[in-house]
Amino acid sequence: MKKSAILAAVGIAALLLAGAAEAKDKVKVGFIGPLTGGVSANGLGGRNSADLAVRLRNADPKAKYEYELIVLDDECKPNVAVQVATKMAAEKDIVAAATHYCSATAIATVDTYHKFGFPVIVWGAVLPDITYRNNYAEVHRVNGTMINQNDANAELISSLGYKTVAVIHDTTDYGKGHNEYFSKSLEKIGKAKIVGTFGVTADQQDFTTELTKIKALNPDVIYFGGLTPIGVRIRSQMDKLGIKAVFDGTSGIVSDSYIQGLGPLAEGTLAFREGAPTEKLPGGKFFMEKYNEQKYENPPEAYGAFAFAAMNMILDAIEKVGPDRKKVIDELANVKDRDSIVGKITFDDHGQNTVPVITKYVVQDGKFVEWADSEYASGKRKLPGQK
Amino acid sequence: MPGIRPGMTVELLTPMNAALLAQYVMNGLMLGMMYGLVAVGFTLFFGVLDVIKFSHGDVLTVGAFTALATFAGVNAMGLASPWLALLLMLVIATLAMAFLGMLIARFLVMPLRSAPALNTLLITLMLGTVLRECVRLFYPQGANPKPFPALLPRGSIDIGAFNLRFDNVMMLAAGALVIVGLQLLLNRTKLGLAIRAVAQDEETARTMGINFTAIVLITFAIGSGLAAFAGVMNGLYYNEVNFGIGLYLGVIGFSAAIIGGLGSIYGAILGGFLFAGLQIIGTVLLPLASAYKDVFAFAVVIALMAWRPTGLIREKISERV
Amino acid sequence: MSASEPARKIVGPGWWPGVAAIALAAVYVIALLAAEKQNLIIALLAIGIVAVIGASRFGLLAPVTHSFAWHENGMAFAALVSAVVVAGYFHDEHFVLLLVVTVLLMTVATLGLNIQFGYAGVLNFAGASFFGIGAYTSAVLNGTGFPSILVPLVGGVASALVGCMLLLPVLRTRGHYAAVVTIAFALLFKTFLEVNDVLGGPQGLQVKGMTFLGWSFNDNVDIGPVTFSFYWSYFIVSLALLALAFALVRRLERSWIGLNLDALRLDETAAACFGLSTTRWKITAFLIGNVLIGVAGALFGMVGGFVGPNNYSFADSLILVSILLLGGIGNPWGLIVGTFIVIVVPEKLQTIQEYRFLLFALLVIGVLLFRPEGLLPRTVRRYFPGVRT
Repeated sequence: MKKSAILAAVGIAALLLAGAAEAKDKVKVGFIGPLTGGVSANGLGGRNSADLAVRLRNADPKAKYEYELIVLDDECKPNVAVQVATKMAAEKDIVAAATHYCSATAIATVDTYHKFGFPVIVWGAVLPDITYRNNYAEVHRVNGTMINQNDANAELISSLGYKTVAVIHDTTDYGKGHNEYFSKSLEKIGKAKIVGTFGVTADQQDFTTELTKIKALNPDVIYFGGLTPIGVRIRSQMDKLGIKAVFDGTSGIVSDSYIQGLGPLAEGTLAFREGAPTEKLPGGKFFMEKYNEQKYENPPEAYGAFAFAAMNMILDAIEKVGPDRKKVIDELANVKDRDSIVGKITFDDHGQNTVPVITKYVVQDGKFVEWADSEYASGKRKLPGQK
Repeated sequence: MPGIRPGMTVELLTPMNAALLAQYVMNGLMLGMMYGLVAVGFTLFFGVLDVIKFSHGDVLTVGAFTALATFAGVNAMGLASPWLALLLMLVIATLAMAFLGMLIARFLVMPLRSAPALNTLLITLMLGTVLRECVRLFYPQGANPKPFPALLPRGSIDIGAFNLRFDNVMMLAAGALVIVGLQLLLNRTKLGLAIRAVAQDEETARTMGINFTAIVLITFAIGSGLAAFAGVMNGLYYNEVNFGIGLYLGVIGFSAAIIGGLGSIYGAILGGFLFAGLQIIGTVLLPLASAYKDVFAFAVVIALMAWRPTGLIREKISERV
Repeated sequence: MSASEPARKIVGPGWWPGVAAIALAAVYVIALLAAEKQNLIIALLAIGIVAVIGASRFGLLAPVTHSFAWHENGMAFAALVSAVVVAGYFHDEHFVLLLVVTVLLMTVATLGLNIQFGYAGVLNFAGASFFGIGAYTSAVLNGTGFPSILVPLVGGVASALVGCMLLLPVLRTRGHYAAVVTIAFALLFKTFLEVNDVLGGPQGLQVKGMTFLGWSFNDNVDIGPVTFSFYWSYFIVSLALLALAFALVRRLERSWIGLNLDALRLDETAAACFGLSTTRWKITAFLIGNVLIGVAGALFGMVGGFVGPNNYSFADSLILVSILLLGGIGNPWGLIVGTFIVIVVPEKLQTIQEYRFLLFALLVIGVLLFRPEGLLPRTVRRYFPGVRT
């Protein structure tokens, strides 16, 4: 018994030494997104896009390092996000990461990244606070914030002649942010007014009580600031209660799962997003070509292109200054008019990129169609209550 | 006050008119029916074996997913009639869950009869977790909410401003029928007599020649079949199932059964409607955000337990010392 | 036998088997925590299981149990030393230290749960909620100028105060009904936190680190050429807390308080017949347990830097209860082992991260069916007049 114990100890020691003496020249980069749960379609699309960026770089003979992508799942929950963010940031081998689709998770983790001095580029979360609440050098973002999409939203609603809006929003910072910016925009335009605001939890099942109250208020439009899972539920229960208002959503519902979840009920839903549709981006064709070559199981969804651009930026920075977190942070501070598949990227003093284009969508025949190209804009079809 | 933000419109007491009231009552009836069905299951298991089978809620989830899978199969085979599909789904889900219930009883609950009651509680809690995780991990994309087909007729009639949907009425009627059927089974048939005998006094029932194991298995089968029915109903009502509905409904069903007093079917139904009523009252009367309804309802449950530790319809407890 | 007789001499192998076991365990822990490759980790786990089973087959565990039983203070000291050695080995590895600190604090929480459930038989399915109360206390108080070294104490008191709200239902109910009360509270608590904006809502709150006499715990420590991760400061405090909690629980168990609690748990009616005030002892156990849980929660909030309602749900309470079951109800040493297994193994086995809850639940079901006393069952109480243990 003692002999085998000694042998075992020697064996373990040998294995440990062997592990430590492995060859270098590999660089680890990270990706965090919601890989499970109601918004997993977006997370998986983003992961595939980041993976594509890494693969293309590894296939490039001029690259100085070999890259390995470490993927962690934040489940779109703030507490899980903090745990995985701590895990990734605490591991010194990982140099930088493209992080987060859900705003609730992104805002919870900024302090963690700052604590560990870990550079990140956000690829899908739209809450302005993520880059603007603090002035952390570690945090950057390639996609736009929700301010512009809500401006466009309020404008369209007002221009279509609707007078009364009821607001439903989830109680995470994401939903609250949408509520805040939409209300401000609508007030500024002044043509429509908000008759009721309802906060719901992000995993709520039953909305009949809130919707019953809304039915009594009889609004023209129901504005929804939240993500796809509860968006599907609210729209479905709206129908059950016989509410015939326009369902007006945000970038949170621009996802194939929204249409799959509702079928014909999705018809006539409005949505807004910053950034042009993937095909219309400057590098969109190239991105879609390469993406389809890899035959991923899930499509890139709305923010895949941004994840690709974010990861590419990280890889460029590491190529330039080496796998050192501090140097990468300094390098990312000087991004001006950098070319990428989503257009030119410039980080302002808070690490935020400006995305001027806002795409307006309406669901027509089971697809998200641009408003300007739709039959609703031309007058062939009418939204409920549209004059 | 928490939940109120500047600029938010708050209705302290929603202007109550008949249509609105009718809508609230309808919501309450639907919720109460579902909670009640789950609660009846808990009460049945407790009555027969003195156990709390906490996995009941998750059996409901598995039942709902089984029905969903059946629907996918039916669709693949090209059957067009929604009634036939619904019937098939109900039958298959109920039978499958009845079988599952029997397995649970045979292998997990009965072996632990001599152990402290807490062990059974814990093992069923853990089993619930196993069932839930299995659905989440092994059903294709189980972690996402899945749309449930709307198989009942979608028409409705408007009574004034109140929109009465046919499918709601049908579900309520079906639920009521099931409960009445259960009562008849328990009170008018020999099987029911055997079940009640076992619930009252196990030893004497055995000496009277009742096959204890068979009765237990049958009771678990009935209860689990009820759960499947409730699961399908839930799916039809919300047009959606996800792997977490069981946990929520299970706890509410358990609380409802407790409020009503364990061991009493009427108590369970009463508890279910009471809980639904509490949730609705909480949303309507309290000036806080409607999300507080659960806080309110659970707080009332705790207070009720403090006032009447064995439920509203008292269970007669006698303990051998 | 009278107390004036000289103390009996304890015969047996003495310290050495126990110390050897602790040292071996320390080496094993270091290996497990350092390993990165999945195959290596699985191999290590397999070796560990085989070694333990083999040792019990060959009768090697008996002398170890003996040392633990008769020389507990020595064993505790050895365990402390080995903990410091393990943490010293990983002095600049942030994540490993975070795991170690998590294990330490969770053990304190389960010790509290142990007093409630293992000794007094008071069901508490809301352990994670009381943990959360402590954590939210530190979120609210830390950074407002209140001396952060005292915050854990306030966390414990807050936990006990909230526990007082539940006293009436807990005292009046028995069995299943008692279970409902704490389950309902667990759900209520999480929902309350989620809908309530004052405490951050579903977004949670950030927690500032601990500061002591001007030195912030969130800064890395440099002693000469060696850098210690900032988690080291938390490690020292957590270890001290665990040592205190452990000593408290042990003393409690052996005192007349522990005796009363055991009597209460084993047969409430008989205890009442003997004149024990069941009310008083249930309250005592419940509150003391909650204080421990709250203190651990407050400290953990500071370590993690973030508190949110999703961390303190019913599922987390179930994890605490399963640690109790797995490790052995009523045995503090078993709790350490149980917590380590439950927290470290899923973290290291990345492949099973997804299947974590499923495997847990299966493991607990297995334990309940085949070994309901747990891995390290509670030993029978010993009384030998004149002998100090």
